[in-house]
Amino acid sequence: MATTVRHALPASLSMFAFTVAGLAGLPLAFVAYMALTAGTPVWSRLWQTRIPELLLNTGALALSVSAGTLLLGVSLAWLVVRYDFPARRFWEWTLVLPLAMPTYVLAYVYTYLLGIGGPIEQIWQTWAGPDARIFPPHSLSGATLVMTLDTFPFVYLLSRTALMNFNVSFEEVAQACGASRLRTWFCVTLPLMRPAIVAGLSLVVLYVVSDFGAVSLLRFQTFTYAVYQQVSGRYDHAAAAALSLLLVLLALLFLVAERWFRQRSRFYQTTGRYRAPARKALPPLGAWLATTYAAAVFAASFGVPAWLLAKWSLAALAEGALDARFLGFITNSLLLSGSAATLAIAIGTPLAYVATRRPSTLHVLCSQAVYAGYVLPGPVGALALLVLISHVAPFWYGTILVLIAAYVLHFLPTGLQAMEPALQQVTPNLEEAARSLGYGPAGTLRSVTLPLVRGGFIAAWVLMFLQCMKELPATLLLRPVGYDTLAVRIWLEASEEYYQLAAPSALLIVAVTIPAILLLVSKDWRAA
Amino acid sequence: MKSRPSPRHDRPCLQPGLRRPLVLLSLCLSLVLGGFPGLVREGAAADKLIVYSGRAEKLIKPVLDAFQAKTGVQVELLSSGTTELVNRLQAEGGRTPADVLITNDAGSLERARELGLLQPLHLKEIDQAIAPSFRAADGSWIGLSGRFWTLVYNTNLVKPGEVQSVLDLAEPRWKGKIAIPNAGSEYLQAGVSVIKVAQGDERTRKFLLGLKSNAGTFVYGKSSQIVDALAKGEVALGLVNHYYLYRYLADHPGAPIAIHMLDQQDNGMGAIMNVAGAGVVKHSRHPDSAKRLMEFLVSRDGQKLFADLNKEYPLHPDVPADPALPKRETIRTAAVPLARLAELREPAMAMIEQAGLR
Repeated sequence: MATTVRHALPASLSMFAFTVAGLAGLPLAFVAYMALTAGTPVWSRLWQTRIPELLLNTGALALSVSAGTLLLGVSLAWLVVRYDFPARRFWEWTLVLPLAMPTYVLAYVYTYLLGIGGPIEQIWQTWAGPDARIFPPHSLSGATLVMTLDTFPFVYLLSRTALMNFNVSFEEVAQACGASRLRTWFCVTLPLMRPAIVAGLSLVVLYVVSDFGAVSLLRFQTFTYAVYQQVSGRYDHAAAAALSLLLVLLALLFLVAERWFRQRSRFYQTTGRYRAPARKALPPLGAWLATTYAAAVFAASFGVPAWLLAKWSLAALAEGALDARFLGFITNSLLLSGSAATLAIAIGTPLAYVATRRPSTLHVLCSQAVYAGYVLPGPVGALALLVLISHVAPFWYGTILVLIAAYVLHFLPTGLQAMEPALQQVTPNLEEAARSLGYGPAGTLRSVTLPLVRGGFIAAWVLMFLQCMKELPATLLLRPVGYDTLAVRIWLEASEEYYQLAAPSALLIVAVTIPAILLLVSKDWRAA
Repeated sequence: MKSRPSPRHDRPCLQPGLRRPLVLLSLCLSLVLGGFPGLVREGAAADKLIVYSGRAEKLIKPVLDAFQAKTGVQVELLSSGTTELVNRLQAEGGRTPADVLITNDAGSLERARELGLLQPLHLKEIDQAIAPSFRAADGSWIGLSGRFWTLVYNTNLVKPGEVQSVLDLAEPRWKGKIAIPNAGSEYLQAGVSVIKVAQGDERTRKFLLGLKSNAGTFVYGKSSQIVDALAKGEVALGLVNHYYLYRYLADHPGAPIAIHMLDQQDNGMGAIMNVAGAGVVKHSRHPDSAKRLMEFLVSRDGQKLFADLNKEYPLHPDVPADPALPKRETIRTAAVPLARLAELREPAMAMIEQAGLR
């Protein structure tokens, strides 16, 4: 009896994984179909006029943002986990807050701050003379700055968790054997943190290549921006599909490389016990430097933008912008994002389990197919879903179920990115032990695996929830009549350039997502 | 779809810490599937008139509220990007809940007509109120208010009359002094379309190259930024839709900026104009209410309200524009039919891109 159960579960799990991957692949297949039937004139026009530039820009942006987030994320995580300085707990929490700031809002704030005649240029000119210019926000530097400030918490969070779960005995052994501190760092600490850093960076890269809010505001010509231009400026769906397909292929290549890299550096947590590293108190100068560093990063990524939003919101409130309808917008946003994130966890668990425990080619392919949903540019993915649903399941059309499906398709990969490493860290031995002691597969999952991966799963839920709250292109296209969300409100006001009126919605998104973010850092989500 | 009942022997090992998330999860799921507002398809069943609007909610909602108050017809508004709405209408096809499409651009309305998304409408009220040049040939859409893409200048830096034609803006003497919208701007695209028809390809190309070199880094994503830069004296000249000037002056009275209608000289091509307009959706389920809305929009009250909210020009000849605006009778308009803006868009965009504008 036990054996049949043991074999039945993986089979049903596989079936489930295939089904999900198949469904998730439908919009992509539709886009691929549109792209491949586009005909040579479209492709050759794109190749001659756009593709080389887009490749270069997208690659450059992904690289520079990766470098920036790596530097900020790892150094800050190291600082708050290993050292003690005044208000350390405060900085440890607040450095995650930029995740609440939608990229397009941050981009807008920086076009204001860095723009011609903006505050930063004025300050700079009092120093460097009246004709001095700073770099314009509409450039690679500007886009890098905004994206780095918005996404470094991904790397910070994952590095921090890795450092906290880190068994300090490894370092002690290295030092006892005579390795210098630098050598220990590079030969022991860094390699052990590598899976977390790689996972964080790949979140960053996927975010950068799929985001369209910031690049469209900063007019930086990446693939997503070009796709957006084709869809919105030209009604040229074939060209948009072609560019999307190319982007998806590139991203899949990247993901395969990343998976290979992660496979090679696999570390299991072999016991439930470990020793937490001791914190070193910093000397006064060091403490001052650390505080300044953390404060500067926080101010640039969250403090100043939030303060500006609050200032603009006050002006909007004076105009009577905030009314009872906002309660509805908040509820809509929370309900949509909450249900989408929950559903994604439910769907993602078997997928992640299958991909980490039985990484056969087929299973890995399944999860790769799901990943494609993340990089399929929002405007095109949503359009494909709209066409599919209105033909295949018209009774669904016009309900929020379509929107939830779009969110799950788009953001499930973010969740998987956090769920898979969590599952990977649990050694299969523990599960096998539970099975040999008479637990069924479901029982093992519930009493051994899930408690151990709880932290990673909660992180996955929060990450997906946050991104759903900020999602724009799909919401704009698929929302039912009379069902506005906060993100849509920002867009509606900003599109006709009533920026003050957009500020309250932006501030509300930030405010209602902060509790979810604090959930990420509030507890030690370490394995019990 | 609640959480599956767990096998008997699992109960005792369910840890307290795990039970809560599971309860939460099933709570969330049952909430989702338990039927809250968004699950019921609105509009299709309800007897409401559904308006898809690419015109900002702030500028259209008061008009629809007035219509609702006058006629008792319930109106539900879906505001979005114009292109998103046209794409959506196309994908929805016969199942669309929409009744009326409102946009800020004749080109998109014409595009919707070409895609077969609108139905021709022949009403006496419309024929009397709106001149044929502001309507689709087959009556599928009608213009409601006029907007000019024109010159705004800083009165301290430029004397009135220094620039006569839009083509003058490409002259080298304005190098580093002019602010323009970026290549994605539909105003720029429509403007270049008109210039291309009126002046020919060669002059348009030269104009775009000169404009690009004169503007340098003063390329803005938003018209309000251009007006702001003008008021602060960072640039001397800017190309925007006329109402942005009045919007800025409402917040900053006395700012040193003024408007100048271009190409009014003898034999000049005339000012570049576009219209905001509306059409009844082909598969509308409430064609009678939709017609009543269209009638209201071309009525004197409707025209006044629709145009004044954004300081645009009413198209009804008997409805006066806001007194702050230059008199409409004094403005000569470029003779390019609005319906052609749709077909001209693609070549205009190609020219803009070839000139290297970004």
